[in-house]
Amino acid sequence: MGNRLLSALFASAALVATGGLAEAKTVVHVMHQGDPGWVKAYGDVAARFEAANPDVDIEMIYAPHDAYNEKFSAAVMAKQLPDIMELDAPFLANYVWSGYLQPVKPLIDKDLLDDMTDSNIAQGTYPIDKDLYAIGLTDSSVVLYGNKKYLEAIGARIPKSVDDAWTREEFEGYLEKLSKLEGVKWPIDTFRGYGIKTEWITYAYGPLLESAGCDLIDRKTWKATGTLDGEACVKALTMMQDWVKKGWVVPTSSGTNQFYAEGQPAALAMGGHWFYAEASAAMKDNIVVMPLPKIGDKGVSPNGTWIWGISATSENPEIAGKFLSFLLKDKEYREYAKTQSAYPGLKSFAAGSPLYAEGGPLAVAFEQASKTAIARPPHPAYPTITSAFMQAVDKIFNSGDAQEALTAAAKKIDEDIEDNAGYPPFDEQQ
Amino acid sequence: MTLQQTSTPALRRPAKRRDRQRLWQEMAMIAPAFLLMAIFLITPFLLSFWTAMTNQPLVPRPTPVRFVGLLNFERVFTDPLFWTSLWNVTRFTVWVLPLQCGLAFLTALLLHQKLPMQNLLRGLFFLPAITSMVVVCVIWGTLFQYPSGPLNQIVGFLSGGTIQPIDWLGDPNWAMFSIVLLSAWQAYGFQMIIYLAGLQGIPEELYDAARIDGASALRRFWHVTMPGLRPTHVFVLVITTIQAFKLYTQVAILTQGGPNESTETVVHYMVRAGFEEQKLGYASAVSVILFVIVLLIALLQRKLLRRFDV
Repeated sequence: MGNRLLSALFASAALVATGGLAEAKTVVHVMHQGDPGWVKAYGDVAARFEAANPDVDIEMIYAPHDAYNEKFSAAVMAKQLPDIMELDAPFLANYVWSGYLQPVKPLIDKDLLDDMTDSNIAQGTYPIDKDLYAIGLTDSSVVLYGNKKYLEAIGARIPKSVDDAWTREEFEGYLEKLSKLEGVKWPIDTFRGYGIKTEWITYAYGPLLESAGCDLIDRKTWKATGTLDGEACVKALTMMQDWVKKGWVVPTSSGTNQFYAEGQPAALAMGGHWFYAEASAAMKDNIVVMPLPKIGDKGVSPNGTWIWGISATSENPEIAGKFLSFLLKDKEYREYAKTQSAYPGLKSFAAGSPLYAEGGPLAVAFEQASKTAIARPPHPAYPTITSAFMQAVDKIFNSGDAQEALTAAAKKIDEDIEDNAGYPPFDEQQ
Repeated sequence: MTLQQTSTPALRRPAKRRDRQRLWQEMAMIAPAFLLMAIFLITPFLLSFWTAMTNQPLVPRPTPVRFVGLLNFERVFTDPLFWTSLWNVTRFTVWVLPLQCGLAFLTALLLHQKLPMQNLLRGLFFLPAITSMVVVCVIWGTLFQYPSGPLNQIVGFLSGGTIQPIDWLGDPNWAMFSIVLLSAWQAYGFQMIIYLAGLQGIPEELYDAARIDGASALRRFWHVTMPGLRPTHVFVLVITTIQAFKLYTQVAILTQGGPNESTETVVHYMVRAGFEEQKLGYASAVSVILFVIVLLIALLQRKLLRRFDV
């Protein structure tokens, strides 16, 4: 309120000073996260928008990535929701269910809506009313990066497309061989260095488990008990625990660059599409990009990233929509996104992105979006689902009992759903 | 003193009025403090006790908030992770207490000597205590790095390479110990200052008398310094215990409760429930329980202080 009050005061003071000639500007608050490069890119777009619309004042509110959801909760409590907010796609269901967001279809330029890829539409859609609540320039995926030199040394087969991804037997066989290879300290980096309480765990490890027939929650009955603590999940997580026990996985405390660090101690990396930019800069041609391995019968990959929604309390939804449309079409913003190897969520952006086009180095990652991507459970209990799951994974990766950890997680999730009376109308989704 | 007691009744009446006046003055002076305590301590506690008995979420939700009685407490007590976190802070306390207080005591003894540049030295030793814990954690996080962080290099050098690098923060057997090391180092300055004050409070005459009686330096330490510091010891131990039970920042920054729950603490557990899982009712239940634990320690403190006649 302070800021709004201040700007209102400032505006009225200006009004008095200029004898009523100047009009009060409409202020639009935009809450976002991002590393310094992105923050600058957003700020520049806002400045260009203000230049084109002199009667609008865009106020960017930065909230650090790691504490974004906490900061968002604080904004809700203080009734200070921004007009536009960046949000992590899996949390969308929670936000819409709680009544923070409004449908954006009527507010966004039609050509942008037509331009969206299927997985981009999927990440912004609320499953109950099938309406679109958020839109983004980008989407995301995780692939398997390989050190070409090491893979050739063990004679590994290098898959060219999602359809011939490594099977579990191949994958574990190669890990075993790599572990004995000269120069390799760890066969694979799964980016445990991101920390034990980050969305990365659910985002990146979830698909491997789903590939093995497991899931975080039953997506029809919305019950975790019987699914997350079921046999398939226990087996899949025990398999991952086994990789850690054998010393195949880069430990948490070794940072997140062991794939391209001095001497290249990690042979494989299960990393996000954004990792390509830094890795290729360091490793040049010695890097191959492969689809995620098929642990079970089907391959599964993640999707979802930070997208933009308009809050239900916004007093200027039209202007907010206008700004979002402006942002997503902004040429320089797109150029910056390209330098960050951003994963396209718009067809026109994909077309201008040689990385992801047919034959491009990240083509496999883009292929996953249409063939194997499965969203994280779109349920309002997601904050608890992911928190409980992270807790269990940390326990299991550090030699805890898989069954015990998963049972505790499933219980926690079901309790949360029960506490919220089944999150109606999700309790009717049979 | 005795003169006043024998003063005439004529003089006593205005004295009585003065007493009443003084009572009012004192009450007026206490009032702001009491008001602040009521607003910021008592009311929040009552509110959190009430919240603990509801299913209140962190942010408003479409489903109604219900009174759930003692369900949250029941859940806290049946959650193995809560007991793990309680066990962890106890473990932390038992380790950090001798280390931190011992370090504080030794440096206080050292700095109590007449050294050149005494004040500068005192300031230097106090420096970690006024450095923000967040900054300290970030720096120590780098020191702890595995496998080739500075600390591991020192250990490797000192052991002539016989000790393999330790995964300070990533190994469940080491993580809590690493946090103990860093915490003791960061905070011992506070206890050191209290010890210094305690040392300065021991009358010099006692030492002089001991010297005349022919007591050696060691005997003077055992029979003058140590008894003189008894109340200080008790105070420092109890204060450190209470602080240790509230361990949070180091864990939140460095280990987030892991690996394998080895550094999960009660406060961290509470924040996780309240902010990440958005269960304010549940988190309030944990906070009430923590309050009771700290209260018990404080009561113990009073008892101990009384026994030592302070």
